Amino acid sequence: MNTAALVITALAAVLFVARVLRGPALADRVISVDGFVSTIVVGVTIASARPDSGIVESTVLVVALGGFVGTAVLARFIERRGS
Amino acid sequence: MDQLFDVIGGICLIAGALFALLAGIGVHKFEDPYSRMHAAAKSPTLGLILVAIGAGFTIRTFSAIATVFLVVVLQLLTSPVGTHLAGRAVHLRVDVDQDGPDELARDEADQA
Repeated sequence: MNTAALVITALAAVLFVARVLRGPALADRVISVDGFVSTIVVGVTIASARPDSGIVESTVLVVALGGFVGTAVLARFIERRGS
Repeated sequence: MDQLFDVIGGICLIAGALFALLAGIGVHKFEDPYSRMHAAAKSPTLGLILVAIGAGFTIRTFSAIATVFLVVVLQLLTSPVGTHLAGRAVHLRVDVDQDGPDELARDEADQA
């Protein structure tokens, strides 16, 4: 069940990456990167529920915080620089 | 009892992963960037809540449940803020086709 959930999450991440690559506008790319990071947080949480993975739950905390900082920096960068 | 918890946790994990997949599909199905933002921001957060419940049922230690709860609270606080920042920056700086009036420009004109 855990493996199935991981596979589904990986599929979702692939869909987000495809949208980042296809664009067409910068808006789509930024939004998709944001969604991709959220999907990664979901994936790491599932991986931390596996007893054999060795991933501690605190890792999820770090990934979630890093994702938020990344999105905020990206937004600040676009607001300064323009399209 | 342990087996029951494992099954409940597994179902929650798969349901949460399906919500993440739904977000991935929505990002491709919706027509304009603002609708896509709605798909990319909301459903992974709901998916994370379900996955956190599933992880809590699977691991069953106090420290794990506390950490996962903290992650959910953090994500509920930061995900709307981050998406709002990204959407605002894109709206101000990039030309995006929009149906309806530009309400952000109208509000800022009212304040000035």
